[in-house]
This record gives sequence, structure tokens and C-alpha cells, in this order.
Amino acid sequence: MKKKGRGMATIMFGFGYGEGFPDHSIAEVEITPDNIIKLRTAGADVGQGFLTTMTQIAAEVLKIDPSYIEIVGQDTHQSKNSGSTSATRQTFFSGNAVREASEELMGKLYHYGSLHFNSNHPELTVNNGEIYHCENKEDKITYFELADNIKKRGESLSAEASFFPKTYAPDKKTGQTEKNYVAYTFMTQVIDLKIDTDTGLIEVLNVYTALDVGKAINPINVEGQIEGGTVQGLGMALTEDQVIKDGITLNPDMTNYLVPSIKDIPNFESILIENEDSDGPFGAKGVGEPTLIAASPAVANAVYDAIGVRIKQLPITPEKILKALEESHK
Amino acid sequence: MTKKYVGQNISKVDAKAKVTGKADYPQDLKFDNYLNVKIKRAPYPHAILKSIDLKQAKKVDGVVDIITGQDYPDLNKFGLIIKDQPVLIGIGEKMRFLGDALAIVIAESEEAAFKARDKISLEIEKLKVISDPFNAIKKDAPAIHDDIELCTDYISQDIGKQNILVDHYLKKGDINKGFKEADLIVENTYQTQHIDQLPLQNEAGYAVYDQYTEILKIWAASQWLHDTQADVAQALNLNKDKVRIIQTAIGGAFGKKEDISVHLHLALAAMHTKRPVKLVYTREESMISQSKRHPLTIKAKTGVTEDGYLTAWQVEVFGDTGAYASSGPAVVHKGMYHCTGPYNVANVKGVSYAIYTNNTYGGAMRGFGTTQMAFAYESQIDIIADKLGMDPAQFRYQNAYDTNSTTPNGQRLSKSVNTKRTIEEAVKLSNWKGESEK
Repeated sequence: MKKKGRGMATIMFGFGYGEGFPDHSIAEVEITPDNIIKLRTAGADVGQGFLTTMTQIAAEVLKIDPSYIEIVGQDTHQSKNSGSTSATRQTFFSGNAVREASEELMGKLYHYGSLHFNSNHPELTVNNGEIYHCENKEDKITYFELADNIKKRGESLSAEASFFPKTYAPDKKTGQTEKNYVAYTFMTQVIDLKIDTDTGLIEVLNVYTALDVGKAINPINVEGQIEGGTVQGLGMALTEDQVIKDGITLNPDMTNYLVPSIKDIPNFESILIENEDSDGPFGAKGVGEPTLIAASPAVANAVYDAIGVRIKQLPITPEKILKALEESHK
Repeated sequence: MTKKYVGQNISKVDAKAKVTGKADYPQDLKFDNYLNVKIKRAPYPHAILKSIDLKQAKKVDGVVDIITGQDYPDLNKFGLIIKDQPVLIGIGEKMRFLGDALAIVIAESEEAAFKARDKISLEIEKLKVISDPFNAIKKDAPAIHDDIELCTDYISQDIGKQNILVDHYLKKGDINKGFKEADLIVENTYQTQHIDQLPLQNEAGYAVYDQYTEILKIWAASQWLHDTQADVAQALNLNKDKVRIIQTAIGGAFGKKEDISVHLHLALAAMHTKRPVKLVYTREESMISQSKRHPLTIKAKTGVTEDGYLTAWQVEVFGDTGAYASSGPAVVHKGMYHCTGPYNVANVKGVSYAIYTNNTYGGAMRGFGTTQMAFAYESQIDIIADKLGMDPAQFRYQNAYDTNSTTPNGQRLSKSVNTKRTIEEAVKLSNWKGESEK
């Protein structure tokens, strides 16, 4: 018999290293005479879109098309520390460093622009990679021409910023602290599934997600995080288990260690809640880890809803379902 | 305010290079005259290395050299937070899990390196293997590490602390008062499993040593270039500016590429042979030798009033951190710090232990302890709602954080507390009716 069930989970995640551990990111932005804006960051793009996010933030602040921005410095000898791509921290930490460096550079565009036009900041327009005086819009200088002029004077059109917010170590005895993590991301997810009570097999049907993202710098990449994170969470909920017996892994291969395949992907509907109320760039929060977290309890709750048995040991395999059903019928 | 680039679905800046095959993953790099490296690893999860015989292995055609701990006796241990993992297990030293490295085989071809690796013969003295963290904390359990002492003064006298890497505590409000105020107390134990992050790209890299500048270059995917650089430098007694880590295209990480993997063995092989060297893990090697999601045992006890308000939440958390610390000193208690989920609970008590065993070590994986904890607290929430006869969404909503709520750590949430909005939106989006339409 096939039985349907629906489960909910609401989660929170404190992002950044927190707990008083020093956590910062350094970024540099440089306008070069050869029509390129170099964005220097050591942050790792693990596929989530870090480099794209940083490009969008710099482009927004510097008011120039993202195609002019080139990421450099993916090398310890060409960049300063950006901290790890972990702890759901890069959009918040490196994003703020890139935003601050870009704002600093914007200040320099106004400063050198005002020297060039023999004027002052309020009379200047800086937009679309160009600077002009409000009284003569035809007389423009591009960011890159300005960089060339400045280079001839032995200076450069660049800026560096470090973002370094504080947290405080929890008390050893009580865990109490004024600020444990820089901020928290919240998410609620509802999962629908279907259980075959003869085989114990579970098919996940629908996933509904409401994610507190602050501001989605790139909405489709945030949705990508929701879908990828949730599927990884479904693996945890249903199949993934590296079996280690007496220190020896019994299934060190992808034949016997089961991750979800394309055929296991459910339907997704997601809502991004954008209150722009966080201290991240443009109000953004980190979302990388939170997107995985709700799946396993939502599945366990849906299983209970469907067949009235509560599984407290992951993963929720067909064997466990059948055993629990058998016991519940006794 | 509308923004021009932020908030727009701009294509990933590295998408074109990746879909056209132009992006360089470690295996795509090209070096002339490079050598292949393979690692001989521990044959038993807990043992003393008595002797190592390389004679037959060195006879294999194409073998250039084999490095053991005897060749580099002054190496320092490495690790993300605690330096407890040896680069190579020397004679008389202990292997603590199957991923421990005993020898670095360097050969002209990958086949020769594999063949020679399998011809290395070892003499070991087997020790008692501790695979279950609850056996590891028995008073008479042998110590897996005898030089790590990080436990607090608050640790319970009832458990053996010789295999406890770190212990942490939570105490907010008055837990006894909280349970007295409760009309219903629900107590359950939850168990999570070992999980591999399973990025498509296995650990891989190249290294080149320049004899003239004395700069060692390593090309490998890393989640934190500068931390990898610092750890490699200290382990090999090199100046940090002589170690250059260059990022490659990364084929997934999810926490697994925070730890050192190929880097140190590549570095030694490059400095030893003065030729470019390449090391690529097999999937089996990756699963056995690199970090796992910690299995957590979570004992949760929750008190609630009959009208559905949480009064007390108590947890005990036991994390299997395996043979080495990695991110373990941060993962298990981060889980505990999230023990109530996003719900107001005035009285909280918790204890957590990261426990050494002879299993593959636990490290960072997406969620970092809080993923396992959410399985416990969100199961508790539904179990309680069911016992109270309440709609689980309503039960969540009436206990959910608002501005100025405090976390189990006592952190007051002063801004951007949107828990209730996420519940409202998920209820609307899913057409939640309090029960499924069967």
C-alpha cells in the first residue's frame, strides 16, 4: 500500500566562525588602464557562486557592468586572507569586504574625478564606468582613462578593505556569551512524501521552502543552494551511511554508499524572504549550510504523518521502516 | 530601491569555462616530466609500526623513491584547530585509523606507484580497536592519544576522559524549575550516521619545488588557501612565504576540502625528487582518509506546558570525532549550541563531548553539527505537538524566536529575526492544513 505524508521543520543557523574566534576577510579592488577592474580575493568558489556574488557586489557599488570585473588572487602569494569558504560566511564576510573596498574606490573616483574636472564631488556624476561634470555631459572620462592618468603620476586607482566583526567566547562552564555568532539564518521547509508499506521505499514528492535570506544577491543561485542543499539533506535522511565497523569502512565506494541521483529529485517551490535587515552586504545573510538542515527532520516528521512510526536513527532506510511497521502492528 | 546588478540572475562568472572544459581542475594541469605519488596507508586501525621493508617495492620497474618517517624525523603534526595528525607514522609510532600514512611512493607511472605500494611489507603490533565512542569513554579504555589534554575542570567524574578531545557546557536559567513548570516532559535519544561529503572531485594536486628560490608551489583545491599554507609551512618547518598554495577549479567541497589532504605528501615528494609530482586519491582512499560528518548521539529532554509553551530543554551530546581532531573541537558543541532550534526556552542545560575513536575522523560538513541537532530538536517538536494534539505549525509559531529572544548561549537577537515569517510563508506556499491530505 502507498501512503502519503507531510512533515515540517523550522531551523536556525548561526553563521561565521563565532565563539570569539577571529574571523575576517580582506578584499582589494583596482581599476587598471587596460579596461579591467581587478577584484582580488582569496575566497574559494566551491561551486556555490562566490566569485559571481562578489562580482555583482563590486559592480553594483562601482556602477559598472560586471563584465569589466575580473577575479584575481586565487593564490596565497597574490592575495591576503579571505578566510575559509565554510561556516556560511563568504557572502557576509567577503561580501562586506568587497563592498567596503568598492565604496572606498568609489570615493577615489570622485576624488580624482574632481581633480580632473577642476570641480567638487556634488557636481560630478559617476556612472556606467564614466565620470562627467553635470554642466557638460559630453566631456566624459572613463574609469580606465582616469586610472591611466593616475598611473602616469605614479599612483593607482585601487582600494583595500577588511571586514572583521567581533564575537565573544562563551563561558566555559555555562556557554553564555553576549554574541556567539554574527547573525542567524532561519528557514522553514515542508516535505511531502509517499511510502510503499510493502517495500519500505520512500519517494519524496514535493519540497516547499521559505528561506530568510535578507537579500538575494543572485536569486537563482540562492534557489540552487536550496535545491542542492535539500537533496544533500535527503541523502542524509534516507540513504547515506558510511558504515564503519571496528574502524573499517565496509562501503568505501559509490555502489554501496548511496547518494540521491537525478531520479530522486523532488519538485521544489521556494520563497526567498528579503527583509534586507542583516548587517551583510545589501542586507544579505549566508544561506549555504541552512539549506541542508531541515530536510532530515522534515522527512522523519512526514514519515510519522504517513504511517505513524517514529524513526530516531538516521538514515531512514526501508529496513527500518518495515521493522517499525512490524513492531507497531504487534 | 531597485539595484542594477545585485538581485539579478547574472550567469556564474566561471560557468563558461566550466561547461566548455577550459576550467583547470587539478588533473587538467600539465607539467613536463612529472612523477606519480601514491600513499601506503595503515593496514589496521590501531597499531604500532614495528618495521617497514621497502626492498621488494623498490625493485618495481619505474619506482623513483619511497619516503618514510625515517627520512624526515623532524616533521610536525598538523590539523585545522589542534595539531594532532602525523604526516608520516614512524617506526615505533602509532597508527590510529586506516587513513594514516606510512610511506610515500614516487614512481614514473601511476601503475608502478600502485604496484610498489602493494609490495611494501610491514610489521605491526595490533592494539585494541575502539570504534564505539561509548566504549572510548569507559574508565578502562586505552587512550588513543596520550598527549592531548584539553578537557575542562567541569567534566563528569563518571566517565573516562582519556579519549575526550573537548567537552562543552550550556547553562541558561534554572533547568529544574523549567521541568517543574512543565505539564509534559518528552525524552528521546537520536542517532545520526557517518556521512561522506562526497564532492565529485576527489582530492588531487600537483607540487613543484624550485631549488633556486626554495619556493614550494602546490596546486590543489582548498576551502581556505591561507590556512592550508600556514599548516603546510609549520608541519614541514618552512617559512610561510616559501609555501605557495594556488587554487584550482574546485569540484565540490562541502567541508571536506578544509583539511589537509594531498598537500603535505606532495610537498615532501617534490622537495625530495626536485621534479613535479602528482597525487590523485581514489574514491575509496578519499572516503577512508578524509573527514566525515560526525555521528552524534543526542539525548534530548524537553518540558512543555499543556497549552504548548516550552519551559525546559536539556541535551547530552556524544560526538564520534574519530582518530584526529580536524574540525571536531568546533563541530560537536556548535550542534549543542543550537539544541533548542529557533524556539524560546528560558531554561536550558547541555553537555557535549567530542570523543576520539579509531574511526575515520569527523570534520566539517555543511551544517557543522547543527544539521544533526536539527534532526533531534525538530523531531522533538513534532512528537510534542502530536502528544498535545496541536498543529505542529502552530506549536512552532507560538514558541518561535522574535526580536530580543535569547539563544541557548544567552545571545540576545537584536535584529533580523525572521523565524515566524518563514513559518507563515511555508504554510502559505505548501497550503498547510495542519494535517496531510491522504
